[in-house]
Amino acid sequence: MDNIITTERLTKKYKRFTAVDGVSLHIRRGSIYGFLGPNGAGKSTTMKMLLGITAPTAGSFSIDGRHFPEDRTAILKGIGSLIESPAFYANLTGRENLDILRRILELPKDTVDDALELVGLTEAGNRLAGKYSLGMKQRLGLAGALLGRPPLLLLDEPTNGLDPSGIHEIRSLIQSLPERYHCTVMISSHMLSEIERMADDVGILNHGRLLFEGSLEELRCYAGGQGKPAGGLGKSADGGAAAYLQPGGVRLEDVFLAMVEQDNAAGKRRAE
Amino acid sequence: MRLFVIELRKERRTGVFLVFPSAGVLGAVYAFLVFHLRKDTLLSLPSAPMDILLTQLCGIMTVFNLFGIITAACMVCHMEFQGGAAKKMAALPVSAGAVYFCRFLILSMLLLAAAALQNLALLWIGRTDLPQGAFVLGTLLRFAGYVFLAAMPVLSFMVLLASCLQNMWVPLGVGVAGFLTGMAFADTEQPLFLLHPFVVMLKPAAAMNAKPDIAVVIAAIVETAVFLCMGFWLTEKSHYE
Repeated sequence: MDNIITTERLTKKYKRFTAVDGVSLHIRRGSIYGFLGPNGAGKSTTMKMLLGITAPTAGSFSIDGRHFPEDRTAILKGIGSLIESPAFYANLTGRENLDILRRILELPKDTVDDALELVGLTEAGNRLAGKYSLGMKQRLGLAGALLGRPPLLLLDEPTNGLDPSGIHEIRSLIQSLPERYHCTVMISSHMLSEIERMADDVGILNHGRLLFEGSLEELRCYAGGQGKPAGGLGKSADGGAAAYLQPGGVRLEDVFLAMVEQDNAAGKRRAE
Repeated sequence: MRLFVIELRKERRTGVFLVFPSAGVLGAVYAFLVFHLRKDTLLSLPSAPMDILLTQLCGIMTVFNLFGIITAACMVCHMEFQGGAAKKMAALPVSAGAVYFCRFLILSMLLLAAAALQNLALLWIGRTDLPQGAFVLGTLLRFAGYVFLAAMPVLSFMVLLASCLQNMWVPLGVGVAGFLTGMAFADTEQPLFLLHPFVVMLKPAAAMNAKPDIAVVIAAIVETAVFLCMGFWLTEKSHYE
């Protein structure tokens, strides 16, 4: 299988706290990979390790066959990222912020307008980023990630702070990316219904451990075999809305919650 | 060069481009005012006219430059942390050490501009107000270079601190504390105090003649290089978290 990201027992410890515990991910090229987990599960930390923002304590990973730190520049040139909250220069306008990124990435000038248009920020492009609303900052962060249409996108809760129409707009955009630009998207979100509508594959993380990795269909089978609620899962042709509203259908959220609860209970038993 | 231009663009609206020219103009205005108001008193001091011109006005100019360095270093680095931009930079294919070096270079050039304005004022005063034949351009240039060099350890130290500490008030506080302790030890002859970068910067202002002190020159070069290398290494090696 052609994986763009492969991690091998990736671990991150902060003193005695293990944020990520031996996680082995396999992200297929051209897919949307939903990264699920409750708050503090280690999703952001894993993404930070993939970007070289934080160093793994143990384990390794490769991105498009390349490794940190020796291939850092080559890896980061091909990744658009939005981690935790959008990061920007408050003293610069949205357009100036993107221009800084464009110059660093050595991209043509028109990529800035392209990115602003993609996220619907063209009109506000000349306003100071520090004065943007939370939703606009999120859009700016996303524009920064999409700049130059990189082959790999790492998006950590990208719809945070957006209003419902903004969420729908950005979700549609992300869903369309693999087909439009042949890119791979790794997306984390605490809005599990959102992942259900977008993702091809999912990875479920709890307390730093990977509980499940596979396609939505495999998750359904896995959940059924484990006695967890199952059925009605899978992305429909219209982007998943039908599956979400299917009478009697069980959402990914239910499967996910049951899985996490079981893991938490097992963790408690281990601690006792 | 590409990174240098990017760093310059980042500084827009931070106010850093105003800080050093302001320090330069204030220093120049101070020199004009003091020399015109106290010309006779100053020239009656028991020193050579060139020594009087350079050492008697140097103190306040140095203080302006020192506070310019502290403020500008804090501004430049605070801008990186304010909107989380430093985190974004860590995820981009850019060398953090090279960015650090560009930042140091920009502040050095701005300090040079401030020093140039102040020394132009001294040149003007020297040509118009000193007794006939007393003004020596070479002495002015040598002393200007000496004062600029003595200021570099503080600049290097402040950029290092401000780049490493996300809370702007900490480097600002250290800068003020450095100024106060530097003032207290500037006129001591004990060479150990030359390890204190603020003492090195204030040494020319505390001197009674315009002859550069070789110990100060050596300390300035060594400290500037040490702080610069430390900053480069720390930013290059350390992760964002």
